Amino acid sequence: MRTYLLQRFLAGMVTLFGVTILIFVAMRVLPGDPLAMMTSESGGTYVLTEDELQAARSALGLNRPYYEQYGRWMLDIARGDLGRSFWREEPISDLIVRRGPITAQIAVAAVLLSWLIGVPIGILSAVRRNTIVDYISRVLVIFFVAVPAFWLALLVVLGGVLIFNWRPSLTVVQFWDDPATNIQMTLGPAIVLGLGIAALTARMTRSATLEILHDDFVRTARAKGLRERLVIRRHVLRNAMLPVVTVSGLALGGLLGGSVAVERAFGVPGLGTALVMAFGQRDWMVIQNLVLLYGVVFTFVNLTIDVVYAALDPRVAFR
Amino acid sequence: MQRSSPASRVSRRRFLRTVPLMVGGPAVLLGVACRQQAPTGEVKPPAAGAPAPTSGAGAAPAATTAPAAKSPAVAPPAAAAPPTAAPPQLVATTTTSGAAAGSAAATGMMRPTDGTPKRGGTLRIAGGTTTSPHFDLHQGATVHPLTHAYNNLVRKDLTDGLRTLIPDLAARWETSADNLSHTFHLRDGVKFHDGTPFTADDVVASFNRILSPPAGVASVLRSQLDMVERVEAVDPRTARFVLKHPSLIFMEVLSQPAMVVYSKKAIDENGGDLRKAVAPGTGAFMFKDYKAGEKWTYVRNPEYWDKELPYVDTLEMIDTPQLSDRGTAVLTGQADMTWNGSVDTWKEGQQRKDQITVAQIPNFGAHTAHLNNERGPLGDKRVRRAIHLAVSRQNIFKAYENQEPIFLGRWMSYASPGSPTLDEIGKLPGYRADKSADIAEAKKLMAEAGHPNGFGPIELLSATAPWAAEIMAPVFADELQRTLGIQTKIRLIERGLLIEEYKKGSFDILVETQFACPIADYTIAWNDYLKTGGSKNWSRYSSKEFDALLENLNNESDPAKQKALFQQGMDHLDQEVPFIITGFTAHSPMWRNNVKGLVLDKRVYVEWGRAETAWLDRA
Repeated sequence: MRTYLLQRFLAGMVTLFGVTILIFVAMRVLPGDPLAMMTSESGGTYVLTEDELQAARSALGLNRPYYEQYGRWMLDIARGDLGRSFWREEPISDLIVRRGPITAQIAVAAVLLSWLIGVPIGILSAVRRNTIVDYISRVLVIFFVAVPAFWLALLVVLGGVLIFNWRPSLTVVQFWDDPATNIQMTLGPAIVLGLGIAALTARMTRSATLEILHDDFVRTARAKGLRERLVIRRHVLRNAMLPVVTVSGLALGGLLGGSVAVERAFGVPGLGTALVMAFGQRDWMVIQNLVLLYGVVFTFVNLTIDVVYAALDPRVAFR
Repeated sequence: MQRSSPASRVSRRRFLRTVPLMVGGPAVLLGVACRQQAPTGEVKPPAAGAPAPTSGAGAAPAATTAPAAKSPAVAPPAAAAPPTAAPPQLVATTTTSGAAAGSAAATGMMRPTDGTPKRGGTLRIAGGTTTSPHFDLHQGATVHPLTHAYNNLVRKDLTDGLRTLIPDLAARWETSADNLSHTFHLRDGVKFHDGTPFTADDVVASFNRILSPPAGVASVLRSQLDMVERVEAVDPRTARFVLKHPSLIFMEVLSQPAMVVYSKKAIDENGGDLRKAVAPGTGAFMFKDYKAGEKWTYVRNPEYWDKELPYVDTLEMIDTPQLSDRGTAVLTGQADMTWNGSVDTWKEGQQRKDQITVAQIPNFGAHTAHLNNERGPLGDKRVRRAIHLAVSRQNIFKAYENQEPIFLGRWMSYASPGSPTLDEIGKLPGYRADKSADIAEAKKLMAEAGHPNGFGPIELLSATAPWAAEIMAPVFADELQRTLGIQTKIRLIERGLLIEEYKKGSFDILVETQFACPIADYTIAWNDYLKTGGSKNWSRYSSKEFDALLENLNNESDPAKQKALFQQGMDHLDQEVPFIITGFTAHSPMWRNNVKGLVLDKRVYVEWGRAETAWLDRA
């Protein structure tokens, strides 16, 4: 088990190294640099001379060789320093510390919600196959899988404004500062995102449960005289959870990076919005470090999924 | 084994009965939402110089009730009620002393006229506040989040809708008989937020930095002060500007929000570069905090030189890049005001008169289609004139009506002092709604130029931003194809990268918002965009005749003669058509009815920024 985890960890490190190279090169290959974006910010109201542009480029360190820029970045990472934004020079760690909790809160709440809704519906749909319950749940599942989360988010915001004269907070309010406002801010995105993942979870749970319901060990359990509820809970559910864990884990990884469209729809200043803003501004340092952060999060989540797999299915650890 | 009881089975008929219910529920919800969002009011062009259409308690009766509109929601200016007043003379006469008028306004003491101000509270403004790459206003930082901390020498009066030029840090000023020397007598007892006393040295240091920036400082305001020969301190309380030639726009330029006075101490301590931190100012509010992508916070300056101001204790600017978020923030009370909401939220605000007041204010920015005068058929002025005549501005306005209100403009905003009225513009060839005669004339010109059946495809460059890529570019391309047979191939690139394309001239047609002026007088914009070799002459237009006219305009000191030169220039440009102005924008501010003191409904043009006269009318 320890060797297995160590292998997975080392593989993750190699992946992260690849991520740093990819994002670093991508930023330099894509047209436009931070300075081009800064000078275009005024929409051409102000035009800098070539000398002024060169001086500004030099001040930002953009005229250094690429290998030196990459080396400095890696050195900073090793020292635990995520650097500063090219725009306005605010520390990137501050950005992450301030916005990360909001994004994480939304992601965790969405995944929890997806389990609370998706797993029971999936099981119910499977055990009551081809009944009205199954039909309704399947229609709902298809609806929420098909409906884009941002559209649902817009509908929620629109309904909130027009019917309840309410919209979530536009500025970051941490849970420990003002729990009520914080929940108002994160609940909407969490529900919208959670419903989409819940639909997928329900679908996965249903198909996995249906498959397992026909397995020999389930028949044996029933033959032993176990009550159906116990059969489902002890024997079916645990086995059906493997694909569900995979889906939820991937969803969590994605959401921890911030769901840009939903954040934008709700106007929530999370990490996704920060990344989009940084891309628009070609703020390389912010982009590089946020992408690296997502890489770390994904690696960690994948590692966790592997551990959970091993816990749910001991055979995995020996493979 | 699948277990199911006969009782729980659902018949095909029963199932089919449930489907419409499940599908219908969300559809009804959507329908309700869409119905509520549908435009219900009419948007009229904001009248320059006259109170803009408003709603809400306290607004003028004539403006509170928008006429019932059938369609379109944004009425084309030619069809809508035209402004009844001629554009105001926004440039106050600079040859008189600011103190001469003797009123509170004349001494720069702005006092709200919309009630008895109450003190306290937090004014929350929703707007795009994080686009600024740094904090130095003289180097191009975004103005409106920063300007609260500073003062200019002179400014426009917030309490009369920006109609009057009033003293700010200058208590009064004098202008010499030859209009070449402007002497500013500075206020006593003014201190920067760090306690440093304000003197004439600060004025000299600030404007010298603009005129002769140290190495590494990008002085983006220098071209606006081209007329200034030198700035000098006569004594600690007096500063003098000596001009190279008389200028009608000098005082107007000094009043534009970015022309703030920094402290010499801050400039010296930072090696002349104030990009990295918010430098202390003399303004009514002191900078407290800034969270990128979230908000700016300012607090009341207890030592402000005008002891009456400001009224609110705290000023928060919430970063809301999307217009719809700004509007919904005001509708739901998360913000007290926004300088510019989306069309749909603005209309919703217009309906909620008991809570919200709205207005529309003319802006000095325009949507343009720059025609590369050095490439292919567009180098022929007959072709350019044909495009000017054939393209229907009214069709473009209609296509854009749910995005942002835009209106006619003849080489300058219709809120500019030299502009004809909207009504007058709407009768001119090229601008008028009835295109039959214009298109016939345009086809004749195309035939004379050797393109009776059009030409193409030529490249039409546009930003990827939805308003450009999905509306302006395709609509303009369609106008060209439909009326003149000019075929275009649209190329989209990220907006931030467009500036390199402008500089290189690597386009045939460029759809953008590239004709803006920092002040109401378009002399600056004409020099930048239309002069041979001008810093923003993206169309590469060159005319000796027009350059000579500009020279006269730059040196003119008689407002009447200036107006005649503007008229002559507009006539010339309508014939030569360096580029196409598709429409001038208007902004759509919204505010809660308890926000007083800014009289946004009376503003003659858009100016985002200072708000020291604002007060909150709380029960």
